[in-house]
Amino acid sequence: MNWFSRRRRRIAWASFASCLLSALALLLVAGALPWLSRTDPAAAVLRARYAELEPTAQALAAVRAQLGLDRGPLATSWHWWSGVLHGDLGSSWVSGAPIAPGAWRALSVSATLTAFAVLVALAVAFALVLPAALRVLRNQRQSGSGPLGVALTSLPEFLLASMLLVLVAVQLQWLPPYGWTGLETAILPALALGIPAGGLLGRLLADAIAAVAGERWVGIWHLAGAPAPAILSGVLRRAAAAVIDQLGLAFIGLLGGAVAVEQVFAIPGLGRYLLGAANAQDIPALQAGLLLMAASAVLIGALTAAARRTLRRGALPPGSLPAPPEARGTGRIQRWTAGITCAALLAILASGLPRDPYAIAFGRLQAPEPGLPFGADASGRDLLARVAHGTLGTVGPALLIVAGAILLGLLLAAAGEISRGPAVIANATPPILAGVVIAALVGPSVGGAALAVLWVSWPPLATHAASLLDEARAMPHIRWLPLSGVPRSRIWIQHLLPAVIPALLRHGMLRLPGVALALAALGFLGLGAQPPTPEWGLLLAEGIGYVERAPFTAIAPAAALVLTSVCAVALAGIPVPRRAGSRGPSKKPEAQSGSSQVLVS
Amino acid sequence: MSIPALEASNLSARRGHGEARRLVLDPIGFTLARGEAVAITGPSGAGKSTLADIVLGLGLPDSGEIRVLGEPWSTPKRSHAAARRRLVQGVPQDPAAAFVPRWSIRTSLQHAITRLFPSAHPATLIAQAAELAQFDPGLLDRRPHQLSGGQLQRAALARAVAVKPCVLVADEPTSALDPGTAQAVAGQLLSTAAASGIALLLITHDPQLAAYCARTISIQPPAQ
Repeated sequence: MNWFSRRRRRIAWASFASCLLSALALLLVAGALPWLSRTDPAAAVLRARYAELEPTAQALAAVRAQLGLDRGPLATSWHWWSGVLHGDLGSSWVSGAPIAPGAWRALSVSATLTAFAVLVALAVAFALVLPAALRVLRNQRQSGSGPLGVALTSLPEFLLASMLLVLVAVQLQWLPPYGWTGLETAILPALALGIPAGGLLGRLLADAIAAVAGERWVGIWHLAGAPAPAILSGVLRRAAAAVIDQLGLAFIGLLGGAVAVEQVFAIPGLGRYLLGAANAQDIPALQAGLLLMAASAVLIGALTAAARRTLRRGALPPGSLPAPPEARGTGRIQRWTAGITCAALLAILASGLPRDPYAIAFGRLQAPEPGLPFGADASGRDLLARVAHGTLGTVGPALLIVAGAILLGLLLAAAGEISRGPAVIANATPPILAGVVIAALVGPSVGGAALAVLWVSWPPLATHAASLLDEARAMPHIRWLPLSGVPRSRIWIQHLLPAVIPALLRHGMLRLPGVALALAALGFLGLGAQPPTPEWGLLLAEGIGYVERAPFTAIAPAAALVLTSVCAVALAGIPVPRRAGSRGPSKKPEAQSGSSQVLVS
Repeated sequence: MSIPALEASNLSARRGHGEARRLVLDPIGFTLARGEAVAITGPSGAGKSTLADIVLGLGLPDSGEIRVLGEPWSTPKRSHAAARRRLVQGVPQDPAAAFVPRWSIRTSLQHAITRLFPSAHPATLIAQAAELAQFDPGLLDRRPHQLSGGQLQRAALARAVAVKPCVLVADEPTSALDPGTAQAVAGQLLSTAAASGIALLLITHDPQLAAYCARTISIQPPAQ
């Protein structure tokens, strides 16, 4: 009891302290990455730098001392940060050369690419918002963003980039497929990066406009004879204020998407720099790349905060502005889409599972034929079998991740405001960046990739679990249970959890396809499953290498991924049924549209 | 003079957090003798339900103290309610709150008795309680949603008196009922409390109902 009511008094402090401590922990960890690295870098450095030296214990110890690995995590972190504050990013473990020039070059390439991508995104978003804005001007009924917005956001960047590469650069040969030599090489990457981001921006804004236009004050302004442009500007401002935080997250998600796009088009940007550093386990280079990425994220965060202040005229505590009503619709199209895509995936699974994914039974890159519907890969293995087994290799870990995220979300929701800081950081981490860091520390593996995706998956579930727990605690019969002498532990196990878990499980299942895609993105970049394991992302990456000779090798895994993407977006778009009574709707749909995209991107 | 069933001294409460935190119950003190019925009345926002929660041990006061049978029950720092829970029971405004929806009335009563009164024989106590509250024993195996409002309010009363408390808090026990049933339930509440020697704290905004009690304490919303 005591703890229960005092908790409220501590909430503001706990939230602040949690954010502060998490930020400090993040800084410490970033600086101590060399110490955290579980692969002994000394041997690698010795081989790379002094090929003539024997790897004796003495020589290794000398290298360790030179790298500063013999100090503790605090000293390592302090040393790195003091270097950073003096403008010294350290030197590469691989080449021994200073890191700063290369990292700055990579950043400038990425900044140029991002500028192009933002242009594309703004154009796409404008096209999506225009119909809704016109309807406000003409005082017509609003219908939401429609299927175009869904279609544009359904493909994650790595998939869209691969498809643009195959279609435009290889098949049509309109634009160069690789490199960073001029404007023509920037078009495809900017499209791959900008279309999903623009689709998300446009969809969020158009849905918010549709919802805001239905609010009562808009009707009153119309009745009062306010000029249409004035009404539109009011609606736009209210809509933008409602989704500004999600827009900020979408831009931060661009940073993660850039890694995949730069990898596909071989662009020497920051993303590819990070990936290279992770693969070579060159931790100082990784630290520099992460520092620049984090600085960009902080810049975006500051801009978002400034925009929020302007839009809402001053700082309001979060939650004090009522959320606009949810977009309406019966979700019929979404239900059908989700059903059809799931059925198609099951068909692939049923026909491919009995076949052997490892046997080299066909010719190299053998074309599809009735007995071999998807063709054979570069080693002569059956692609249908590999895609079907890849479903297991991707969806299986994804199921475990979802289960883990539900459990973690529930625990952290029960912990209350203490989990606020980690949640803020985790929510803003693109999964690809988390994957890069983990792969650099422990080497690429399915487990590491799963851990990275788990790290970004728990916050929305924790938010939902917290609101469900609040609702359950406020249910009159649960509030009165102590009167019958029921102890608190028993209230938790017997009454609160059964009220909360079904809804959390449903929410988790809705996130499953998004989680599978994030995992596939890491596999695609070589940060997850390793060959010869069949895994969707890895299969796509293997196929991309042969697109010019045998495009079908990329099309089969891409098809499975596209089906999953469409399924994910359709599931996220199904309106949550409102239940009568005190167990009213939760905040799920709002949290959903925001972070499922971060997951997908 | 014997020890009073309930003594409240200088009780006040603040609720909400941050800047929204404010006084919801002005300091109040009162005493309930054993078997006495006292009404607490006041307009909306006077803190009636907050007071009920504090006496029931579902919330803590921000100042003052409550003693039950002379022993400490609740202070701003601690609640002793868990250890002596049997002594103070309540009848909620929404009688469904007294029962777990998926359990029958009998199961709910049994759970409460085995937890709070382990030495007693549950079946005997349930029969006694049903008789005291005039609850038809034939309805004991129904679930809460299968009962009418009046029946459920009697069931809630039976649940409260089954563990033989010495203080009974009734928070607007009749506000959800139609006038005829309300009258019957209110009469039942008062006669049950009187028959079993339980001190009754009746919280209501209805002056007619309050008039049935021996004393009436009127509280007002705190000035902001």
